[in-house]
Parts: sequence; C-alpha cells; structure tokens
Amino acid sequence: MIRALVITHGRIGEELVRVLGMILGPHDGLEAMSNSHRSAQDITEAVKAWLDAGEPGAPAIILVDDYGGSCATASQLACAGRKDTAVLSGVNLAMILGFLTWRDSGDFPDLVSRLVAKGREAIVRLGAR
Amino acid sequence: MAVALARIDDRLIHGQVTVGWGQHLRPDLILLASNAIAADPWQAKVYASSVPPEIGVAVLSVHAAAARLLEAEAAGERVLLLTASAGEMAEIVRLGAPVARVNVGGMHFSAGKHEMLPFVYVDRQDVRAFRRLLDMGIVLAAQQVPGGRSHPLGQDQITDMEERV
Repeated sequence: MIRALVITHGRIGEELVRVLGMILGPHDGLEAMSNSHRSAQDITEAVKAWLDAGEPGAPAIILVDDYGGSCATASQLACAGRKDTAVLSGVNLAMILGFLTWRDSGDFPDLVSRLVAKGREAIVRLGAR
Repeated sequence: MAVALARIDDRLIHGQVTVGWGQHLRPDLILLASNAIAADPWQAKVYASSVPPEIGVAVLSVHAAAARLLEAEAAGERVLLLTASAGEMAEIVRLGAPVARVNVGGMHFSAGKHEMLPFVYVDRQDVRAFRRLLDMGIVLAAQQVPGGRSHPLGQDQITDMEERV
C-alpha cells in the first residue's frame, strides 16, 4: 500500500486528514504530523521514522504546506537516498482526495504527476464571468 | 553594516527567515554557516532551494562564512547570517566577522535542554556560547519575527541560565 504523510505548520495537516475522514470515511496509510516545537533535525528524524514504519520498499508520498519551509526541507532530507518517495508542496484537500482515490491504480510516478496536477486544478477563481 | 541580521535558528532557512525577516530586511544574501551542511552538497542544495530567487544564497563552512562576511562588508552587501547553534555563531564572531548583534530566533527542545523562553531551549554548551558572545561585546536578544517581542539576553539572563543548566 502506498502511504502518505501530511506534514505542516500547526494543526493544518491534522485537520486536513480529519476532514478527509469525514468525506471518505476511515482510511489507512494517511497520517498527519506537525512541525510545532520541533527543530529541523527533529522533524527530519520523525519523517525518517514514519518512512521506516512502512513496508520495506513501499512507495510513500509526503505532502507539505509550504514550499520553502521547515517541513519541506526536513522531508527532502529524510527522503534522501530512498527510492519511490516524493515530497509535494502546497497540500490541499483535492490532492489528498486524489491520493486516496488513485493510490491503488497506476504506477508511482504517474500517481505523483496526477496529484501535482490535481492540486493545481483545484485552485480556480469561482463565479468569474 | 554588512550583517543585516545574524540569527541563531536550528531550522535555518524557513518561512520566518525568508518571508518574515527577508521581506522586512531585504537582504542581498542569505548566508548559511554550517560545517556539516557545507560539506554535504545534497543538504546544501535542499536548503538553498528554499530561498526566493530575488535573494542570493550561500552555504559555507564557519571559517569561509567569516571570510565572506568581511568581503560583504567591503562590497556593501546586506547579509542575513544563519547558524543552527550558538557555538557556531560565537566561532564566526571570534574569527573577526563584522557582527555586533545576534538574534536568537529558534532553539527547539531536545533531550537535556532547559527552557529559557518558549522558543529557546539551551544546554550548558549553548549557555557557554552565549557567554562567549557577551564577552566579545555582542548584544544578544531573542526574537522570532519582525514586530514580535524582543527579549534581551544580557548578563542577568545568561548568569541565571548558567546557574540552572
């Protein structure tokens, strides 16, 4: 099973995962983590521990809120040298919905590309004429 | 003054630095000083990639950073200097870098560290480095973001921590 970790500032990730549970029901392999009160090194170690907790060699996706923030940096450092991992920034509900919908179909690079596209497509100006 | 901000922050380059202080100070260069990161091209690349394109970035060893700051002073560049630890900052000052004030921006909790402020946790090594900085005439203050509260870390505060750790 492909797993995903949503790692963000404050409780953004925790709430995104909770809301997804309200929309799609309970789901395995989707967890949230906060960077609050943690050094970059601590966050990196926590992400490594999450990666290690999965099946050996199983693909994993890390979704972070901010492109240049500590979550993004720590996640990239934690994934160094690990095959079939991807760190995506700008996490939104559409990306997580896409992950849960598509993770069992297609190959890993294709899933990653679809999630990036899905996240971007979700940003639109509504009601514009 | 070449050093617009000299900051101790164990997250190094992140939002508070690039967005908060970066937009406030408009530095020409963010200089990350770390022997470990400068020796690891992958880590250096990851940290450097977090800096907005309008700001230059360099990841250098502590020695090279001290030399680069002297060059920046001569060239009139505005530099935002970052170290992860108080010890590295003290070493840069000892090497003659033109630093007068040091901002303590974030030293998070880890085992064996004591709370000084909600965003500053220190052990004996950190407090010793703070003392070295004070002894070299540096003005120390803790402040996370521009406009946030500045907490002076003077003789009284450091003496108090020397007794506690």
